[in-house]
Amino acid sequence: MWRRTLSVLALLVLWQIVSLFMKPTILPSPIAVFAQLGQNLTQPETYSQLGVTMFRVVVGMIAGVAVGMIIGLTMGLTKIGEDLLDTWVLVLFTIPALVYGILCILWFGLNDTAAIVAIAVGSAPPIAINIWQGTKAIDRDLIHMGKAFRFGKATVLLKIVVPQLIPYILAALRYGLGIAWKIVTIVELIGLSSGVGYMLSYWFGNFSMIQVLAWTLLFTITLLIIEFAILKPLENRLTRWRPAAQIQRGAA
Amino acid sequence: MIMTESYLSIDHLHKEFPRRGDRPLNVLGDLDVHVEEGALLSILGPSGCGKSTLLNIINGLDDATTGEVRLAGRKVSTRTRSDVKIGVVFQQPRLLAWRTVRNNVALPLQEMGLPKDEIDDRVRRYLALVGLAEFADYYPLQLSGGMQQRVSLARGLAIEPDLLLADEPFSALDEFSARRLRQEFVRIWAETGKTILFVTHNIREAVFLSSRLLVITDRPARTYLDLPVTVPHPRKPEDDLLFELEKSVTEDFMRMEEQVRLEKEMTR
Ligand SMILES: Nc1ncnc2c1ncn2[C@@H]1O[C@H](COP(=O)(O)OP(=O)(O)OP(=O)(O)O)[C@@H](O)[C@H]1O
Ligand SMILES: [Mg+2]
Repeated sequence: MWRRTLSVLALLVLWQIVSLFMKPTILPSPIAVFAQLGQNLTQPETYSQLGVTMFRVVVGMIAGVAVGMIIGLTMGLTKIGEDLLDTWVLVLFTIPALVYGILCILWFGLNDTAAIVAIAVGSAPPIAINIWQGTKAIDRDLIHMGKAFRFGKATVLLKIVVPQLIPYILAALRYGLGIAWKIVTIVELIGLSSGVGYMLSYWFGNFSMIQVLAWTLLFTITLLIIEFAILKPLENRLTRWRPAAQIQRGAA
Repeated sequence: MIMTESYLSIDHLHKEFPRRGDRPLNVLGDLDVHVEEGALLSILGPSGCGKSTLLNIINGLDDATTGEVRLAGRKVSTRTRSDVKIGVVFQQPRLLAWRTVRNNVALPLQEMGLPKDEIDDRVRRYLALVGLAEFADYYPLQLSGGMQQRVSLARGLAIEPDLLLADEPFSALDEFSARRLRQEFVRIWAETGKTILFVTHNIREAVFLSSRLLVITDRPARTYLDLPVTVPHPRKPEDDLLFELEKSVTEDFMRMEEQVRLEKEMTR
């Protein structure tokens, strides 16, 4: 843990040093940015803007994860599914997130639905690809064991296949979350009048470097909180059977 | 003549695996074995001759190329698996790494729909039997290879099968634990009267345990030797009769390998 703290501190020090040589309108010092952030946090509006963005991300991600997992499992576990879907998933994966944003705004108008659908459509392909790859690494011998003991299809899927996919599902969640944040900011930036992306565009319009950085920082900190308060503990819980995971925890 | 059908009958069983760009690999060639109910049959044979494949076919996990397997009066295939309760101890432990030892043993029992008390009771009994009572809450990767093998043995026994297919269940154990487990194994067999097919590379083990001994040849596998072991249980590992038998089977085994070697040289 202290190594992580150290690397964050080092970055802040570097930022502080560089800012000494720059005009505050180009690069304000970290202290000023944090002060601005602190001040923003005393205003209820900040929370409502962040909340709106979070709402879009969470709903869009839930839809994206559900669709992505179903597609990924279908591709991984059935030959027909793989043949029918793999080209499309790869095509959808290569389309830039910006395109989904624009299309959804044109189709659904300037509202939450546009953002949510864009996130769902943008995050589903990478999640599907991750799960699909994960199914390639499944230990067939264990499925064989399940069949030998006459486990039903559902038991084989839920108790033997899905647990082996958990590392891939977690990786997909992280990746999907990253994509979801990018899409939501883009959609908010180009079309909506609320959310973190809108605030960034607003302060950009006002040439306020310090506010742009303060909002970016808020965004980053939120992501870190999600990682360390939700994803990491979840991962540790789900992979505690691995000796390596235990050694790490013992050493920390 | 009226023939009463044996519990497990293997008739003209032939199995080949297709190979890309080559003739298929001929694994089992015309195997004929009839096993009576309540037998403890040891299967001995060179590595790679098809013993694990044979157990898979009996369990309906793989199909014969030709010939048939009938279990308790019904033909077995991957589509028509027998309703006889079959327990399996694989050559590798095949445990679910993310489940504790306890939950690995419990899973097949849950699948069978047993009540929870019964499951808890059986898990405790069979883990104690294999000497792993203290390790119920460990995860498989925290155990040694031999301990994992014993968990797998407990899992196979805990369903209290009518037919147990055990593929070298003691191979990763030290001689001392193996001895103790063999004794327990025979005791369970004698008490329950269930049928056991037991693959091993250890002739002494086969002679000590089984009521009948089957030696099969290298690929394509056929019966080389099929003889009853009539020494009554409980047996002592140091029994002279058993020792004699071990010696003669070992000699037969050597002769078989020698024959194979000669045949290979002739065809060259
Ligand atoms: N699914 C499969 N596909 C192709 N070939 C296979 C398959 N399973 C087994 N074989 C081949 O069949 C032969 C017999 O394998 P099997 O595992 O039955 O041997 P075995 O008698 O159990 O050997 P060992 O004593 O070493 O465990 C081997 O040559 C193996 O390569
Ligand atoms: Mg084998």
